[in-house]
Amino acid sequence: MMAIRELKVCLLGDTGVGKSSIVCRFVQDHFDHNISPTIGASFMTKTVPCGNELHKFLIWDTAGQERFHSLAPMYYRGSAAAVIVYDITKQDSFHTLKKWVKELKEHGPENIVMAIAGNKCDLSDIREVPLKDAKEYAESIGAVVVETSAKNAINVEELFQGISRQIPPLDPHENGNNGTIKLKPTSQAGRRCC
Amino acid sequence: MGSLLSSEVGWSWAFWAYSLRRHPAPMAAIRSNLAWFSGPESGTLAMCSPEEAALLRLEEVFSATLSRINSFVLQPLLEAEPSDPWGRECLQLLQQLHRSSQQLWEVTEESLHSLQERLRHPDSISLESLLLLHSADRVLQVHLEYIESYTSCVAVQAFQKAVKRRSEYWQGQRKALQQFLSGMSSEGSVGTALVQALRQPLTHHVQQCVLLLLSLRDTVGESHPTRELLVHTVTIFGNLQSFMRQELDQAMATQALWHTLSSRQRDVLCTPAHRLLQDSQDIPVTVTPLRAERVLLFDDALVLLQGHSVHTFDLKLVWVEPGQDRCMFHLLTPEEEFSLCSKDPQGQVAWQWKVTQAVCQTLRRKKDFPVLGAGLEPSEPPTCRCGAYTFRAEGRFSQATYEGEWYGGRPHGKGTLKWPDGRNHVGDFCQGLEHGFGIRLVPQASEDKFDCYKCHWREGSMCGYGICEYSTSEVYKGYFQEGLRHGFGVLESTPQTPQPCRYTGHWERGQRSGYGVQDDGDRGERYIGMWQADQRHGPGVVVTQAGVCYQGTFQADKMVGPGILLCEDDSLYEGTFTRDLTFVGKGKVTFPNGFTLEGSFGSGAGRGLHTQGVLDTAALPPDPGSTRKRQLGLGVFPVESRWQGVYGPFQDFVQAGCPGDLQEALLGFHVQSSRELRKSQEYLCCERTHPEDHAGRMEDILEELLQHRAPEALQQCLRKALSNSLHPLGKLLRTLMLTFQATYSGIGANKHLQGLAQEEVKQHAQELWAAYRGLLQVALQCKGQAPEEDQDAEARDLQVHRLMLPLVLPSFYSELFTLYLLLHEREDSLYSQGIANLSLFPDTKLLEFLDVQKHLWPLKDLMLTTNQPPGDRLPHFTRYSLVRDACFLSATECLQKMIQLPRCSTTVDPREKLEVLERTYGEIEATVSRMLGQEHKLPMDDLLPLLIYVVSRAQIQHLGAEIHLIRDMMAPIHTGGLYDFLLTALESCYEHIQKEDMRLHRLPSRWNSREPW
Repeated sequence: MMAIRELKVCLLGDTGVGKSSIVCRFVQDHFDHNISPTIGASFMTKTVPCGNELHKFLIWDTAGQERFHSLAPMYYRGSAAAVIVYDITKQDSFHTLKKWVKELKEHGPENIVMAIAGNKCDLSDIREVPLKDAKEYAESIGAVVVETSAKNAINVEELFQGISRQIPPLDPHENGNNGTIKLKPTSQAGRRCC
Repeated sequence: MGSLLSSEVGWSWAFWAYSLRRHPAPMAAIRSNLAWFSGPESGTLAMCSPEEAALLRLEEVFSATLSRINSFVLQPLLEAEPSDPWGRECLQLLQQLHRSSQQLWEVTEESLHSLQERLRHPDSISLESLLLLHSADRVLQVHLEYIESYTSCVAVQAFQKAVKRRSEYWQGQRKALQQFLSGMSSEGSVGTALVQALRQPLTHHVQQCVLLLLSLRDTVGESHPTRELLVHTVTIFGNLQSFMRQELDQAMATQALWHTLSSRQRDVLCTPAHRLLQDSQDIPVTVTPLRAERVLLFDDALVLLQGHSVHTFDLKLVWVEPGQDRCMFHLLTPEEEFSLCSKDPQGQVAWQWKVTQAVCQTLRRKKDFPVLGAGLEPSEPPTCRCGAYTFRAEGRFSQATYEGEWYGGRPHGKGTLKWPDGRNHVGDFCQGLEHGFGIRLVPQASEDKFDCYKCHWREGSMCGYGICEYSTSEVYKGYFQEGLRHGFGVLESTPQTPQPCRYTGHWERGQRSGYGVQDDGDRGERYIGMWQADQRHGPGVVVTQAGVCYQGTFQADKMVGPGILLCEDDSLYEGTFTRDLTFVGKGKVTFPNGFTLEGSFGSGAGRGLHTQGVLDTAALPPDPGSTRKRQLGLGVFPVESRWQGVYGPFQDFVQAGCPGDLQEALLGFHVQSSRELRKSQEYLCCERTHPEDHAGRMEDILEELLQHRAPEALQQCLRKALSNSLHPLGKLLRTLMLTFQATYSGIGANKHLQGLAQEEVKQHAQELWAAYRGLLQVALQCKGQAPEEDQDAEARDLQVHRLMLPLVLPSFYSELFTLYLLLHEREDSLYSQGIANLSLFPDTKLLEFLDVQKHLWPLKDLMLTTNQPPGDRLPHFTRYSLVRDACFLSATECLQKMIQLPRCSTTVDPREKLEVLERTYGEIEATVSRMLGQEHKLPMDDLLPLLIYVVSRAQIQHLGAEIHLIRDMMAPIHTGGLYDFLLTALESCYEHIQKEDMRLHRLPSRWNSREPW
């Protein structure tokens, strides 16, 4: 039986880098069997198969404005993964990303999977952050990295596939070590409320 | 028998001749009557039969005989003046005989008169006017009374004794008596002569009556109107004859018995009422296992004689049971069980029949008529009887008198047991023991005070739920086992006592043991923790009136080793301290600002607290909540077992298949008001509301559950059950509320107990759900249906949180929310300042201040939409905006419903609150979409500032307490999901509003500062 595993994913990154656009693209591109409730573009879910499991991503958007920064821990507590988004056309946003990574390492959940998304790769003409920089940085912190274009639907799937691959397989003895992982038979998924 | 009768006839004729000689006047009257009768020329006389005339003569003679007996025999007998009590009793019997004789004479005279009238006017007075016919029953009654008085005198030899007392007089009368008592031998004693003189006229008279009435019956035609009456009278007189014969025989046998007994035995047994029915000397029987040389069956008692001892068994409380073989049968009595064995089956039949009939007759409280066991139903004595008995054997019941229902030799049913020392018990009995509901009063040293136990009993000791009011004015309400407090119970002293005290918790064999909460009114302290052998023992938490609380380990009522102490100023002390909260020994103080002081502490008289230690001011300020929000008791009192004594009896009840007879033992008994509790025992016992009357029988309760299994109906059904204190679920909830209040109200309203409280509420919901499931399974089983599958943990969690928790939360809400208020007091006050400050901002200023992007401002939109047609919801929106400068009003109003839910103002369902929150987001998005003219999905960058705006405008008080309570009560399945997100977003707004710039910023010209990271 295919088991559904719920994974809380939080979106971090400067305002205007297209955090929610990536997710909107991800969520809308494929037909989802479960009619998932959403809150605008702020809370979205999507289920994708991964090996012999189904991964249900519960994606939490955060406000990117700096003055809401201190509220972020409330959002990322209990996350299995964090998608940190920067704008390849804005060096500042890559700088902010580094600060998020640092914070997650210090205060984030243990074993959180980090994925770096360089958005707006369709605008590589006015690129400010070289892909190489991002790749090197990602490697140094052991994160997934892709350049995406929410607009042209480039690499959005791959980003989440990358996360799925990084999620450690379920250890039956240590069920739910980061608080959000749950196992349930697929047959029951239909009558759940979210 | 035949010879006896004939001799009596001979005697009576002699007497008759004698009486005629002495009374010439009536003789003349008879003659004249006979003359009328014999005259064939008289047409009227032809209507009277010769039998009627003969009856008249018979009555005349009997009446005369009675008056002669009166003056010759009874009057002289009464003249004796006895000096001893026994003589006095005999005299009373003779007086009674005199009265009966008088009545007999009177009724005879009446009969005579009616016959005379009839003979005089046979044409106008019908046959049925004869007293013998129309009042045969009355005539019978008078005869029976005479027979009873007479046989009583015979049975105790009253005549012989009276004669002995005046022997000289009676010797003088001997000649006179002999003169008219034919057939009396000269050797016979005067006493015997008197016995005969008082019996023979009656037997003769009855015999003659029967004969005359029989022939009268034969004379009248089959269709004669009085034939039926005649037949009735004939039957009655016939029966009277048989009865008389039996009674006289029994009396003679009884009289004869006394001579064969020792004087001691005679003194015990010889009473006028006793009649010997059977004697083991006539039909031999032996007794096992008791020892008896002789067995006597009287009409009201069975007597075993052994040596000089006399063992009497009241027949009212004797049960006859067949034996294993045909020669024996068993007898059950309250304290003895024994068998009677005869030599042969005939003997067994005779004895068993006699005993059975005698028991029946005794229970009917009336002599069988005409003879013992004659055709009366039922011929078997009932197994259930009422009776009184005083126990003699050693044991609990020694000297106690039981009055009430019996079954097979044992108290069984309702009854009252009274001991000579004043103890008494009213209630249900089973198999000889207190079983079921019962009330016992136990008098205490001081005269008018007593302990009162209103409990369930099981096999003679208290078991199940009960209320005990002690003479010390303490009251215990809870469970018992084997007569001791056991399981959950509350012991409370009245507030008036000098040292008010209340214990709510577990008991073991009469002692506080396990988890329990005790209030010490004197010290203003509450102990929450483990007990053993009536002492505080194990981990415990103490909260005080002053707000200080500590946790430690107790041994033999004293705290041992180091503990944690939380002061009112949120400083924390870890170390050893005394009960008076003086720091002694090694310890560490953590101040709210993060400073620590570590060292050894001590105190001395007049020196105050002194310490040698290190003050560390370098430590970083800790997380502000670390000492302020420190929770006590977590982990040391596992929530699953904390109130096991409350859950346990219900689990056992369900396990046992919900037997109806244990319902009251589980739920306790119910009275309409507490006033009824003070009423008399008997009243309470009978008038208490039986659970079956009120909440319905257990079967109905189970049926109800079966009927309502669909989600909607189930919720209604559970709501109803939980609100009914007579329903097992309702009672369980009430008991849990009691424990919750005992722990967390009053002194217990301490923020450091919030953690304990919230996990307890969730556990209670879970246990109530389990209790429901248990009842449901029993209900299914009763119907022969397959039980429901066991739920997996997740399905159960979902039902608990979705269904049960919202139903039970209101019962705990007041105490629980208070704890949340206290815990989040500081944050809530900052937040209050925040919203108070923001309320000063006009809408546009606030939108600007919160950095809401201009294109999302609904104000723009307002101006555009003022001309929209009515019917749309916007004009309504606009109108408000115009008068009150308010935008996002729909969202704001929606959010406010979180604390004022429209449907029911008291609802505290966290799920409904989350739904309100969801609608609020919807309203925000709808407002924005409307304004932009297209559906707009808000990313968090845009949503959060708007949400902060709405939250600040909604001005919900104590939002922090609300949010945390909702989160704690939220189903774990929602973690990470939509509701979690909604709540987190709301919480982040709440946090944001507490920030300094929100609280203190005064109407800025423009927000432009980007504060550095």
